[in-house]
This record gives sequence, structure tokens and C-alpha cells, in this order.
Amino acid sequence: MSVEARQGIAITRVPAGLGGLVPALALIGLFFVVPVLALLLRSVTDPAPGLQNYAALLGDGTYARVFFNTFLVALVVTIVTVLVAFPVAWMLAIMPPALASILFGIIILSMWTNLLTRTYAWMVLLQRTGVINRALMAVGIIDQPLPLINNLTGVTIGMVYIMLPFMILPLVGSLRAIDPMTLRAAALCGASPLAAFRRILLPLSLPGIAAGGLMVFVMSLGYFVTPALLGGTSNMMLAEMIAQMIQSLLNWGLGSAAAFILLIVTMALYALQLRLVGAKRTAGGV
Amino acid sequence: MLLDYDRLGWLKPALLAFTMLVAAFLLLPVIFIVLLSFGSSRWLAFPPPGWTLKWYQELFADPSWIEAALTSARIAAMTAVLAVGIGMLASFALVRGNFGGREILRGLLLTPMVLPVVVFAIAIYAFFLRLGLGGTTVGFVIAHTVLALPFAIIPIATALEGFDKSIEDAAIVCGASPMQAKLRITLPSIRIGIFSAAIFSFLASWDEVVVAIFMASPTLQTLPVKIWGSLRSDLTPVIAAASSLLVALTLALMVATALLRRKLQT
Repeated sequence: MSVEARQGIAITRVPAGLGGLVPALALIGLFFVVPVLALLLRSVTDPAPGLQNYAALLGDGTYARVFFNTFLVALVVTIVTVLVAFPVAWMLAIMPPALASILFGIIILSMWTNLLTRTYAWMVLLQRTGVINRALMAVGIIDQPLPLINNLTGVTIGMVYIMLPFMILPLVGSLRAIDPMTLRAAALCGASPLAAFRRILLPLSLPGIAAGGLMVFVMSLGYFVTPALLGGTSNMMLAEMIAQMIQSLLNWGLGSAAAFILLIVTMALYALQLRLVGAKRTAGGV
Repeated sequence: MLLDYDRLGWLKPALLAFTMLVAAFLLLPVIFIVLLSFGSSRWLAFPPPGWTLKWYQELFADPSWIEAALTSARIAAMTAVLAVGIGMLASFALVRGNFGGREILRGLLLTPMVLPVVVFAIAIYAFFLRLGLGGTTVGFVIAHTVLALPFAIIPIATALEGFDKSIEDAAIVCGASPMQAKLRITLPSIRIGIFSAAIFSFLASWDEVVVAIFMASPTLQTLPVKIWGSLRSDLTPVIAAASSLLVALTLALMVATALLRRKLQT
């Protein structure tokens, strides 16, 4: 739909209200929409017109492996993040305010700390001779250092760490919105805690889990920094492959085609999320 | 009684222990990096053989680190000003305007938040190569403002939605011009939203690395690009020192935010 057409309709109704959007739309239109569309154009014209870039990407086993890795990591990260975040969000939603604010402080501190700083810490922590391996060996759980870095294990640990706040914070909101009376009623009717959890608490928090999980999955699909630093060369993820195609190989055609596949998948999942929870809650959750 | 903290029974210690463990997991890298920056081992051994300040000395002796930090701060400050200004105008239109397609326009303006940054990075990189804006401060500020705009619009629009417009109308009835009413009644009332927008936009630029990696030139690089380069070439403990200073800055920003919020709310 054309923005101009929309504006035309609107100006006749509320001229003053719409004027405020002009700078924002100009910025996003000129420096976001146009460059991204130009990239799409490039994916079907560089080096020659046609769909050969997409055919190359989808037909080649090496690239297929990158797509597979990317989806696998995003899926595992999402599942682990949900499992870890749920109990924490649950506690945060009901614990005394003083305790909760300390925990919130820790979450915000980790979230606001520079992304590269946190990834760097994991690079050092997960090394062969790093603290984690040495501690595990000292305790006697293992006698050989575990390969925790330059592989998908390292990527998963680092990504779960980065994504946790994005899952915990929206989940606290949806857990707080549940009326405790429903659970009291369940207990009065004789439901065991397990039954109450399985049949009331979990179903009622499912929309929050779905929204947060989808968000984490989408963010993980396109993540660049953490996989590039904690992953190995043999299990590259999509974002790093795109960056490499453009920056090192200067293969604009393939790079923009890969970028476009990532964009389409992301936007489709985002649309699904909007349908599930609505635009405002999606945006507010971040 | 699953949602009653005092009546959780045996679940409470189990859940609390798990929560503490996750809190430790979240804090671990942050604390670890600060400890490491004072360790004397070049090879990042932990616990270190001794304690030293030499990585901080090396950091401050190298003008390229300071220059990168200043470049980042300058770009982030300009980004915050632009994003808050443009975001404020847009928020008023989105919240108060009464035109068709409002949700679509809101969605469009928030898209930079959900689009994978790497896609935007190569798109704007190619675009700026053509315009001659690659590797320039203007280029950085424009690209970062696109990315920061959603983070400015969300808190301002939320604050504006929570503000009772009839107070502004009352001021106009009492003789204020619409502009006066906005400046003297509405803006002070939504200042927490504006303040959050400024912080988030600043951080969005200050922390941004993917676009910066593509955009940086030998003469203009931001702090994240400088750290990125060092991480890829040598894992020197100087990065730990630089990182610790960033942690200190984050803490200061958090404390300032908390204090200011308290002050603004009373």
C-alpha cells in the first residue's frame, strides 16, 4: 500500500495529526525501505537478471547446512530459554517487592551491559583452559576439557544468556495478569499443585510463552555477533554467512539473496506474532 | 496456591534456588570481566597469579581506544537527540491522530526493531556507498537513528497514551495556546517516557556493532568496532579493562535512571 495514498486520505480528515509523522516516515522510507528494496532488486539482478542466486543458495549442500544450523540453534535456544525463564518469571511475578527489585536490577544490568563485553566474557569462560572447564575438572566431573567453544554448544550457551531477559520480562507481565483467585479456586476444589500447574497456570501463561518464544526465535535466527564469536568456522550461522559474502567475498548477488530469505522468514514469523498478541504487546514486550 | 508466594510450600525453596542460580548465571560474565581486568596474566588465566592495573594503563596510553569511545559517545548523543525529536512528533501523531492505517504506519515505524540487523546493515552499506555517506559521522547517525527510532517511539507513545488529554484541553480553555499547553502541561507530564526514550536511543547506538562493522572506516570507528577488531585478532586483557569501564558506565546510567525516575515521580 502506498504511503502517499494513505496520507491523502488522512490529510482530509486530520491534517494537524498527521504532520508529525512526516519526519519519521521520511527517515524510515528513505533510509530503511528504499535500501532494503534495493537489496531485493540486487538479489535478482546481480550478476545477471534471474533467480540464479536463490537457486544456488537452495540447491547447494553447503548453504543448506548453514540454514539447517541456523534453525536448529534458534530452536534449541528458544526451548532452553523458555524452560529457564519460566520459573524465574514466576518467582519475579509473586516475590516480595524488595527481593524482586534486586532481581530486576540484575536482569537489567546484564541486559544493558555491552553485548560484546558479555560475549567476550563467555569466550574466556568457555575456553579449553577456561574457568568452567577447570572447575569441572577440579571437582572431578570430567577429566578432559569439554569442547565448549567454537561449536554449537558455545553458541547456544551464549545465545541463551543474551536472550533470557527478553523472555523473562514479558513473561512476568503475563504471569502477573493471571488472577490468583483462579488457582485458589482450583485448590479449594481439591486440585493438587501439579494439576493446578498443568491445567491452570501453564495454559493461562501460554500466550506469554508463545509470544516471548517467537520473539526469541526470530531474534536468534538473525543474530550475528554472538554466533560469530562463539561458533566455529564449520558451523556458521546465516547472519555470519551473509556478512561474509558481502564483506570478504564481495558476492553481492548471493549475499542479498540470503539476506532476503532471512528477511522473509523473519517477517512471516513477526506477522504470526502480531496476529497472536497484537502490535502493541509485541512492541511493548521488548 | 501457585501464585501466592507465602503459600508455595516445598516449591518455594526449589524455585527460589533455581532463580538464584539463574541470577548468578546472568551476573557471572559481568563480574568475571571486571575481575579479569585486574588480573596480571596476559593469557587470561583465572584466578590470576596476581593483581595489576597495567591493562588500564595500556588502555589509557592508547589514543585509539579513547578516540573510539569519544566517537561512539558523539554518534550516540546525536542519535538520541534525533530519535527523540522525530519519535516525539511521530508519537503524538500515532496516539492522537485520527486517520486510517494508523496501526500499519506504527508497524512500519517499528519494523527496524524486528528486522535482522545484518540485513539492514548490508542494505544501508550498499546505499551509503552510492551516496558517499559510508564511513562518515552523518552516515552513522542516520543509520543508528533508524535503528533507535522504535526505542524512542515506544516509551513516548506509551506515556502519551497514559496521559489524560483533557488536562491539555483544560489549559487551552483557560487561555493557553495549543503549543503552550503542549510545552508546559503535556511534555512535563510525559517526561519519564521522553527520558526513557533518550536513554534507550543512546544505548541502541552506543552498543550497536553490526551496522558499525560495515560502516566503519580506518579513520572513523566506534568503540564496539574497536572491541570487535581486538576480539578477532588477539584476546588481550586490555579489552577486559575497556569492558569494565563500560560496565561501570552501565551501572552509573542505571543508578542515574533510578534516581531520576524517583525524583520525577514524586
